[in-house]
Amino acid sequence: MWIEREALAAELPAAATLATRQLAETLASLGFPVDAVEHRPGTEVLDVDITANRGDAMSHRGLARDLSARLQQPLAPLAPPAAAEGEPRIPVCLPAAACPLYATALLTLGEGRTPEAVQAFLLALGSTPKLLPAVDASNELLHRYGHPTHAFDADRIQGAVSVRMARSGETLVTLDGVTRKLTLEDLIIADEAGPIALAGVMGGDGTKVTEATRRVLLESAWFEPRVVRAAAHRHGLHTDASQRFGRGADPALATVARDLLVQRLQDWAGATLEGAWTAGKLPAPPPSVDLPKDLLTRVAGEPLLLAEAAKALKALGCGVVAEPGHLRVQPPTWRHDLALPEDLAEEVLRLRGYEHIPSVLPPLEGPPRPLSPDYLHRQALARRLAHLGFHQTVTYGFVSPEMDQAFPDGPRPVGARVADEPGHRTLLNPLGREYSLLRRSLVPSLVEVAKRNLQQGQRDVRLFEIAPVYWGLPSGPLENWDWSVALLWAGERWDGDPESKAGPATLKHLLGILKDSMNPMDAGISVYPIQDGMVVAEYFLKHFRAPDARIIPTYTSHSRFPAVERDLSLVVDRNLPWQAMAEAVRAVLKDSALADLTCADLYQGKGLEPGTKAWLLRLTFQAMDRTLVGAEVDGWVARALAAAESLGARLRA
Amino acid sequence: MDHLLPPEIAEADRAFPEALAACGDLDALLRLKGTYIGREASHVAGLMELLKAAPKEQKRDLGAAINALKNRWEEALKARQGDLEAAKKPAGAAAWDATLPPPLPARGALHPLNRLMDRLVDVFRPLGFHVEEGPEVETEEHNFDGLNIPADHPARGSADTFYLAAHPGQLLRTHTSPVQVRTLKHLAPRIRETGGIRFLAPGRVYRKDEIDPTHSPMFHQVEGMLVGHGIGMQHLKGTLEYALRALFGPTAEIRLRPSYFPFVEPGCEVDVSCPLCGAKGCRVCKGSGWVEILGAGLIHPNVLEFAGIDSKVWSGWAFGMGVERMAMMLSQTPDLRLFFENDQRFLEAMGGLD
Repeated sequence: MWIEREALAAELPAAATLATRQLAETLASLGFPVDAVEHRPGTEVLDVDITANRGDAMSHRGLARDLSARLQQPLAPLAPPAAAEGEPRIPVCLPAAACPLYATALLTLGEGRTPEAVQAFLLALGSTPKLLPAVDASNELLHRYGHPTHAFDADRIQGAVSVRMARSGETLVTLDGVTRKLTLEDLIIADEAGPIALAGVMGGDGTKVTEATRRVLLESAWFEPRVVRAAAHRHGLHTDASQRFGRGADPALATVARDLLVQRLQDWAGATLEGAWTAGKLPAPPPSVDLPKDLLTRVAGEPLLLAEAAKALKALGCGVVAEPGHLRVQPPTWRHDLALPEDLAEEVLRLRGYEHIPSVLPPLEGPPRPLSPDYLHRQALARRLAHLGFHQTVTYGFVSPEMDQAFPDGPRPVGARVADEPGHRTLLNPLGREYSLLRRSLVPSLVEVAKRNLQQGQRDVRLFEIAPVYWGLPSGPLENWDWSVALLWAGERWDGDPESKAGPATLKHLLGILKDSMNPMDAGISVYPIQDGMVVAEYFLKHFRAPDARIIPTYTSHSRFPAVERDLSLVVDRNLPWQAMAEAVRAVLKDSALADLTCADLYQGKGLEPGTKAWLLRLTFQAMDRTLVGAEVDGWVARALAAAESLGARLRA
Repeated sequence: MDHLLPPEIAEADRAFPEALAACGDLDALLRLKGTYIGREASHVAGLMELLKAAPKEQKRDLGAAINALKNRWEEALKARQGDLEAAKKPAGAAAWDATLPPPLPARGALHPLNRLMDRLVDVFRPLGFHVEEGPEVETEEHNFDGLNIPADHPARGSADTFYLAAHPGQLLRTHTSPVQVRTLKHLAPRIRETGGIRFLAPGRVYRKDEIDPTHSPMFHQVEGMLVGHGIGMQHLKGTLEYALRALFGPTAEIRLRPSYFPFVEPGCEVDVSCPLCGAKGCRVCKGSGWVEILGAGLIHPNVLEFAGIDSKVWSGWAFGMGVERMAMMLSQTPDLRLFFENDQRFLEAMGGLD
């Protein structure tokens, strides 16, 4: 909201002496940060941020009130000559509870125009003067005092006026020329022909003031904030008026604003007052609130005198009665946000300045809780993968249907498919089709990131992400999600050593990374190539090895006797899986001192029969209790060879 | 003492250097090794037999002579084996060009946003805070109702919040505050035994913002909450002063300004003295010396009561911090989108590893 320095000083003369920076800091310390200061011809304007609870501060007068309380300087008086009220010239009835008070006046306009100074004031606030005194005056009053008013062309009003809820099927062309379909929840001003304004939001086009207008009917009312907010939201009409009524206007200001408007039209446009009258009455004031001393002390962090609190609250316009141990506080008519003792405590602290709040560490009242195993697991895994050369990515949790379709699998338990109906993970109101599905898999996002990195000239792309994935079931994504871990390796694998060769990233390297950080790979293989030189893997986090909860695991002994290593160079069928060989050999050596069995070398080159490959089996024997003798090792190796031969292997010549 | 050795052994010893040199490969060497020092039918084995049969008075000297001879042969064989093995390797392997940089172990990176969140957790751990997390898909009850957000609040609208098409009650959480509601509800029954509640809730949140240099439909927040007896604004200030000094250095100052959020009362914005210019005034702090860093306040009694905690007995504070905003400020990253683009060069430079 824009605030003009001179208009502020008109409400609070002491504000004129403050430097702009000082004024901005004072406003900020009261809860109204200044986002910008701009110079306009002959003056300066401040862009002040007003929080949603402070509709009362949305005017020069409103901010001046808080500044006055802080600076302990008086406000300029606001007492326009009261228009003498008489019999209604046009009957006004208020059947709706949402409008308890409607002050109005009927004037015949004379000659005259909006004063230069007022035009300049409106321009400084970024508002264009309409050069129609009734419109400009209403606008000026809104910015100066915060109470929205409206002027109708009285000659276009047919019969009596009522402020009522709209009826089904009614429409209204608002001032912006748009035809609005009204609903039963819309509060409207209507004449006998139908709606003439959307209450508290915008006037109607058919009764608007124009150059031709001779007589005006003024409106200065009070509307229920909730009803105005809903209407503004429903019709997408967020106007200066709806923002103020929607946050709560000051009902006591309704007649004052009407009188100010009358006075301006008389002064500027030579208007003659035909009559002034008010329908309804002030809504009941909000109930009083007690501020107990102990609550104030707790919130403030130090014992404050109730007398000091009373002084602050009075400065803000509250009625205060001191009672033993607490203050009984009647909030002023313009403050709709003071309903709890905490609200009052905040006012006392706010006026005092938050800089006076002491700084104390809260005492520990119970034992701290440990970090959850799940959180620690993700943290440890991320660190491990980063140490293995992978880069953690953060990508959006939603993807396009095409990306989703391209990788429909996602992580899954062994051999199982997770049931998934994408309709259950579709957003109602996505930013666009591109972002319309909660993702089933992290892979599409990683692939996209990898391709971009390769395009950028990265030779070795290693990525991982740990994030939730969803599967579509009737109970919805709130129930059907879990943490997933995806890894991607693309491009060239090279350790930066000029003496070693670079090679493409292959599945075996990714599998090695997985073996490093996973539980026995019982999760079902979700490792697959995407394109040449790009491989990915994705598993649920729970399939990865969690950090051991024990500080030090139970002792396991290691042999102190020498180990014996024996190699068997075998030629086997090219399709023979290592798993089968390892299992067969281990099976016959169950009672031996076999400590380790590895494939130390793979040869598939020249000199082998087609359809075969050569493995160098390395058997390591070690006993816990003695040095092994050659003969027993020979026996075991012979058994291993026999087992290998049963799988079609033979010793390589 | 060598005179104790039989002549054929002396002969073999004379022939040894030549035989050794003649070994062209490891196999030949192994055969030679067998002939000289093998366990069976070798020169040494024969000598051992001789030693067994030798008269007592000779045994000591003969033994020493055999040992000396055996050691000499063994060493020579070993040396030759080393030479042969070295010769077997490709020429390049031995000739390492020490002027080249050595190969480095692989080095990846944590994402800078995760690093920053980890750091915040580290800062709060010593004060007894643990980590609580919740799902990203939430209910209106947790995301709005439990936080004293009125039923007609604009944030609930589909212009601000993503909803699930087939599940009208489910939405993508718009802040980490629903974790407050979940955690308070979960811990409320035991609050007396645990002596209050204190936790951080880092996580991803979603709002319907178009993607531009300062907006993203997904971003991160860290929420902090503490419930205890007699908790007031002084405790909020004390904790944040400690935490922000741990993050920005011991000279950092903080400033609380009144503000409004439906789930706290009183509410405040918290500024920290600009860590980039030392509060002298720069582009980042727009010359003011202060940077807005988070929103906070005392937990609204309605929030405690909603979770089943007696607000007459318990009180507390809460804060919420935008992780991207802080990361951008600290690193002067000009564009929010860089954090979600995941360029490896960016991740390496900005995230790295501890």
